[in-house]
Amino acid sequence: MKKLPLEGIRVADLTMMWAGPFATRVLAEMGAEVIKIESPRAWDNIRTLIPLPDEAEPWNASWYFNDYSRDKKSLTLDLAQELGRQTFLKLAAKCDVVIENYRADVLDNLGLGLETLRAAKPDIILVSMAGYGKTGPERDQVGFGPIIEQMSGLASLTGYGDDGVPMKTGLSYGDPVAGMAAAAAVALALIQRRKTGEGAFIDLGQREVMSTLIGEAFVAASLRGEETTQHGNRDARSFAQGVYRCAGEEQWVAITFRTEGQWNDFAHHFGLEADPGGLSASARLDEIDRRLSEWTAGKDPRWVLEQLAARAIPVGRVLDTVTVHEDRHLNERGFWTELPHPRMHAWKQPRSAWQLREARPEMKRHAPLFGEHNDEILRGLLGLGDAEMAELERLVIISGAPVNPGIG
Amino acid sequence: MSDPVLKDVRVLEIGGGIPVAFAARWLAGFGADVVRLDPAEESLTTDEQVYLLAGKRRVAPTSDPRALALAADIVIEGDNPGDIVKHLRRVQPEALRARKPGLVVVSITPFGQDGPYAGFEASNITSFAMGGIMSLTGMPQREPLVTGGSQALYLGGLNGFGAAVTAYLGSLVHGEGDWVDVSLQECMAGMLELYGPGGAYNGTASMRAGNHVRASWGIYPCADGFAGVCALERQIPALFSVVGDPELGEPRFRDRMQRPNHDDELQAKFYAWFAERTKQEILDLGATYKVPFGAVMTPGDLLANASLAERHFFDAVTTPDGVAMVPGRPFVGLPWVPGEVHGSGADTTGVLAEWLGARP
Repeated sequence: MKKLPLEGIRVADLTMMWAGPFATRVLAEMGAEVIKIESPRAWDNIRTLIPLPDEAEPWNASWYFNDYSRDKKSLTLDLAQELGRQTFLKLAAKCDVVIENYRADVLDNLGLGLETLRAAKPDIILVSMAGYGKTGPERDQVGFGPIIEQMSGLASLTGYGDDGVPMKTGLSYGDPVAGMAAAAAVALALIQRRKTGEGAFIDLGQREVMSTLIGEAFVAASLRGEETTQHGNRDARSFAQGVYRCAGEEQWVAITFRTEGQWNDFAHHFGLEADPGGLSASARLDEIDRRLSEWTAGKDPRWVLEQLAARAIPVGRVLDTVTVHEDRHLNERGFWTELPHPRMHAWKQPRSAWQLREARPEMKRHAPLFGEHNDEILRGLLGLGDAEMAELERLVIISGAPVNPGIG
Repeated sequence: MSDPVLKDVRVLEIGGGIPVAFAARWLAGFGADVVRLDPAEESLTTDEQVYLLAGKRRVAPTSDPRALALAADIVIEGDNPGDIVKHLRRVQPEALRARKPGLVVVSITPFGQDGPYAGFEASNITSFAMGGIMSLTGMPQREPLVTGGSQALYLGGLNGFGAAVTAYLGSLVHGEGDWVDVSLQECMAGMLELYGPGGAYNGTASMRAGNHVRASWGIYPCADGFAGVCALERQIPALFSVVGDPELGEPRFRDRMQRPNHDDELQAKFYAWFAERTKQEILDLGATYKVPFGAVMTPGDLLANASLAERHFFDAVTTPDGVAMVPGRPFVGLPWVPGEVHGSGADTTGVLAEWLGARP
């Protein structure tokens, strides 16, 4: 059995919400042992954000939490208590990586800053994922994914283009983008450690990563002073392109004609009038949109997909959050796996997008129950005895359940 | 300053589109010797070339790709499945890997190397549609909307970079590389926040909600543009305190169970509050009171941003039209190498001599 790249790497995971857990999911997929650390008084909010009705322990039965924390282990530790902090430092001494996505000042406020961690483990790799980085005048801003999208320049480029209103992406887009970069940063830092024996401090500002995904807009702004414009669903590099309604409720397809010749061939084949004639460039595109909308109306989006794909025309069905799980291609590629869970019925979960065709990463286990691995880690890895465990429990530094759990 | 992490790592870039070029740009930025086998027909715009080709050496399309691949540590290629076989003169990546077990090959394509759609043509918007994010984006009364720029393609590049350095680490540690199959569709279908797993678990599709998931989670017009707020339940008291409307203390707003029934009224209050303040005033209030406020910044705004300047975020790239400022290192902490853009095929002789021992 070929080894995964990160086998043998242990990660102390202090992240919460989405950006950080997304990063550590990738690390777990690539073979790392990820130990997720939560306080009984400040658990990962995602556990309880959308509780299942009538569930006695909602923190242990969240499909949302599960999708981003599967294949991890759970250790509870209240880092705000000195004994909890000291216990964490014992764990850090046995880890390769510590990763957190707190606001910029929080790790230092907990007494767990870089120098403290280095004293515990000189070659530690610390990855911090604050919204705006650890330095600079904006470091104290609080940032979630949609805020990051606004502050990065991306939201200014998104919109229908006819109303001047910038639009947000329909999910917290800044989070997984930062998470993916953080996972890559871990691999890079491990390469450096292998070469030099030195650890690293990765100061990842989520806003900065997001801005790297629109680099050409900065070229236009800096070279020519171009003002930001929104283009709706059009793209200057294509002859015509748009999104068109099909049969059924909220069923749509996206179509791109790279060249006028491609549009003409399509129109000829399916009996549409190709050349609107006598119109301005913009009005001509509007007319093509109208004709395409008429053509797709009432048609099954799957039929449109197959027909246009057969003619080498770029086409995509706008898959929604149900149909994406039914998609023939993703299912035939084995992208979804129904993983057993002790508290919930099985559902389709996505495997890694990094398909190492030889090592073949696979998801192995549901997300951990709260504190499920306390004994394994504290006794097994750190060698704590009965008296030490009893003291941690007495102070509620560790626990099998959150203290005063609410929703959200 | 220590050496860049990827110093002496050879990367061959084959393909030509944004995904491959972006992944290889970061590899070059972290010190790799990236050689781009220029495509016969350039698909990047002039601005994309300025951003994505900096720091790379470029060889003519007629160069021997198979020999270059065997001289590389990482091959990163894309566009369509099968292109690599064509580029490498009918040699499969498996054959390359057999010849050189440490080699990492990363293929970034719209739908991956196999499956019924593997041969389908795709563009940024069609890939975005097939990944699921588009169904959630845009106004509910209008058609779904693609996010700005070329996000599906850049996500492929971001994943390709991460996969490349991770597989290369595996090669160093375990002695064997791998062939990594990155599908743009899968990059997105696995990052659908709560909506993806919710759809899978409950069988109910989430629909696009425009700029407001709810009043406390959205974008509003402000005095000099647009600004936004994304407050979790625990941040609602601070948000209400900053807004300062006494009615916000009433149970219909304060109580989380009652609040959704009064969301329109709450939005109206926020519209009024945002309209009277500038972006900077709102951001300052957010930092002071720990409320997640944001503002819609343009690239032009960010080029003048003090925080990004202090953190040395931008690289300068010389172009025939002047000096362009582009996003540089994605994170601080490992040495980053800014670069200049070379002419197409300009480094052919030097690269062939260094990598293949070819005489000029």
